[in-house]
Amino acid sequence: MAGVGFVWSTPFLWMIVAALRPEGYGPAELASLAPDFVPTLENFRLAWESADFLVNYANTLIVVCGILGVQLVTVTLAGYAFARLEFRFKEALFYLFLLQLMLVPPILIIPNLTTAVRLGIYDTLIGVMAPYMASAFGTFLMRQAFRAVPRDFEDAAVIDGCSFLALLRHVMLPLVRPTLVAFAIVSVVAHWNELLWPLMVVNSPKRQTLVVGLASFTQASEGAAEWGLIAAGTLLVTLPLILAFIAFQRQFVNSFMFSGLK
Amino acid sequence: MISKGDQTMTMRHLIPAGRAKAFSLALALAAALLSAPGKAATTSLDFYFPTPVQGPLARELTRIVKEFNEKNADIDVVAVYTGSYDDTRVKAQAAIAAGKPPGVALMSANFVLEFVLNRQIEPIEDYLVENKVDPKSFLDDFWPAVRPNATIDGKIYAIPYQNSTPLLYINADHFREAGLDPAQPPKTWADLVSYAEKLTKREGDQVVRWGLTMPSAYDYCGWLIQSFTMANGGLFYNPSYGGEVYYDQPSTLGALQLWKDLAFKYKVMPQGVIDPNQVSADFFAGKASMVVLSTGSLSFIRNGAKFPYRVGFMPRNVRNAVPIGGGSLIAFAGLTPEQRKAAWRFMSYMTSAEQLGYWSRFTGYFSPRKSSYDLPEMKEFIAQHPDALTALEQLEYAGPWLAVYDTVAVRKAMEDQVQAVLSGKKEPGQAVKDAQKAADEIMRPLTEKITGGVGP
Repeated sequence: MAGVGFVWSTPFLWMIVAALRPEGYGPAELASLAPDFVPTLENFRLAWESADFLVNYANTLIVVCGILGVQLVTVTLAGYAFARLEFRFKEALFYLFLLQLMLVPPILIIPNLTTAVRLGIYDTLIGVMAPYMASAFGTFLMRQAFRAVPRDFEDAAVIDGCSFLALLRHVMLPLVRPTLVAFAIVSVVAHWNELLWPLMVVNSPKRQTLVVGLASFTQASEGAAEWGLIAAGTLLVTLPLILAFIAFQRQFVNSFMFSGLK
Repeated sequence: MISKGDQTMTMRHLIPAGRAKAFSLALALAAALLSAPGKAATTSLDFYFPTPVQGPLARELTRIVKEFNEKNADIDVVAVYTGSYDDTRVKAQAAIAAGKPPGVALMSANFVLEFVLNRQIEPIEDYLVENKVDPKSFLDDFWPAVRPNATIDGKIYAIPYQNSTPLLYINADHFREAGLDPAQPPKTWADLVSYAEKLTKREGDQVVRWGLTMPSAYDYCGWLIQSFTMANGGLFYNPSYGGEVYYDQPSTLGALQLWKDLAFKYKVMPQGVIDPNQVSADFFAGKASMVVLSTGSLSFIRNGAKFPYRVGFMPRNVRNAVPIGGGSLIAFAGLTPEQRKAAWRFMSYMTSAEQLGYWSRFTGYFSPRKSSYDLPEMKEFIAQHPDALTALEQLEYAGPWLAVYDTVAVRKAMEDQVQAVLSGKKEPGQAVKDAQKAADEIMRPLTEKITGGVGP
């Protein structure tokens, strides 16, 4: 188990070592995991100065929380509808929904951008969030979770005079909570790391997200890689996620165990 | 003071009240996020830029733009970082399709043609004429090598901003060790092969040091196969017409054969597709004695190499020739008269000899303007860095960069074949034929217009 853990954490440890390594070490030393130098924060200083990190953090937080907040409502309601309600074309609609998972995001850039301009949300953080507010993946996940809840629970609640919203809130949601938490993690990580769409829809530097800021000083086709800087920048970007994971570790692990999601 | 009863009332109502408050707060936030920025009485202009070289380039370019805005109170240029050259092209085209064209962009020099074919940009020549600048004398100050990619059908459509060419970097210590003179890098393909053989070190079946290595990942791959084709006497594509590439030609075949032989026959270069970062890492580690990289990597190599290194021209077979790389400024169609005025002031500020010289020293690119090199600070810089002079001298032999209908797809048609050859899956003869066929198919919508509907 410890061995597996070590193999898994190697890239991560390497990133930390590389970020702390002073400039001027050759690639031979770069490949080494053992810290054979006096650690320096120089790479972090350079990375911090290369982008507007505070603004970027704030924007990414707003985007990630905004998307998640709306998603939790939409996927719960849609998932419940597909799981329990009876309406015409239910199956066809559901498959239509799933079809969305098959689309590669780049082909949606122009239609989505056109819609964003029409709605007046081009170059806004709302524009970054809008395409993700309804999630086919989340709806599918919630539908499966709701279907796993025995109908007796619901019937019992309804007989006791429970309204629909109260039923959802007090009976159904607590039962599918692990799935919701698992979905939340997947959603947060995905949107935290997203580059292409924020790059397309946002113009103003003050609305730039973290990964766009990171790319602005680490992407190079004609230059060459400065690994220390890349490692430090990447650590700065991922740090909040890592801290959050450590803080909520037990809850997350439990959720994944219950939901069977990885 | 409130009575106890009132207090419980308040407590009971606190949750809904709090919710209402949160809701109105969310509304206010949404409104704040929705509202577009804008200063009164100033002309706003979006400027898209990619950063193909690592480091705080985006920061520096943003600072330069800020300086321009401070000097020009009536103009507000918004510097928009747009990813790689390819991302910038996608973003510009998506924004145009969505009805929000940018004002000015720094675009890969060889993408200009596509924007002209799609009628998405305005000729710079119109700007020059309106502002009483003689187009001919304007263009004369730019190096001849950067002119063709900026001029289409005799009209200027772009202003070169940052440029590069491929360059040969050698490890001087390894040269001396192998009995070679580091002051004389290989001049011909024959030299390249024999030097590389002398420099390659083997222990049994294992190669511990490669004589030569060069990147063959997308983008670099197409650029370098064009470079070798040109050195083999070829043209690679038709610079006068965007519907023709010369992939299935002796010059291209010879270039690909050399590349393959270096890896498979002489075994002086690693086989397979090589990433540019791998190339610089091997050079720094002393695992490769000669490497081919962009002149844009000069500063990086200068700072990173812990041994004496030299640079040399790309070796020739028939002639000395290299393609240019880099980016140019273009102005989009559909700007208001005020925006056009602002765009011109911005572009002429950015492409002044002083600004281009400064950007060249900061990035490692060379300045496309000849007059930049007459400035004292530039003369001093060149005197301090003789390697930058070699890069500059090679410019005399430089030519335009592949620019055709759907350039990226046509370039990839060739790159896929080169990579197949380098992975040992295909012979060069078949590869150039397949590349030609794929490229012709991609360019068919354009070529059909001049063939009467018949395919090539």
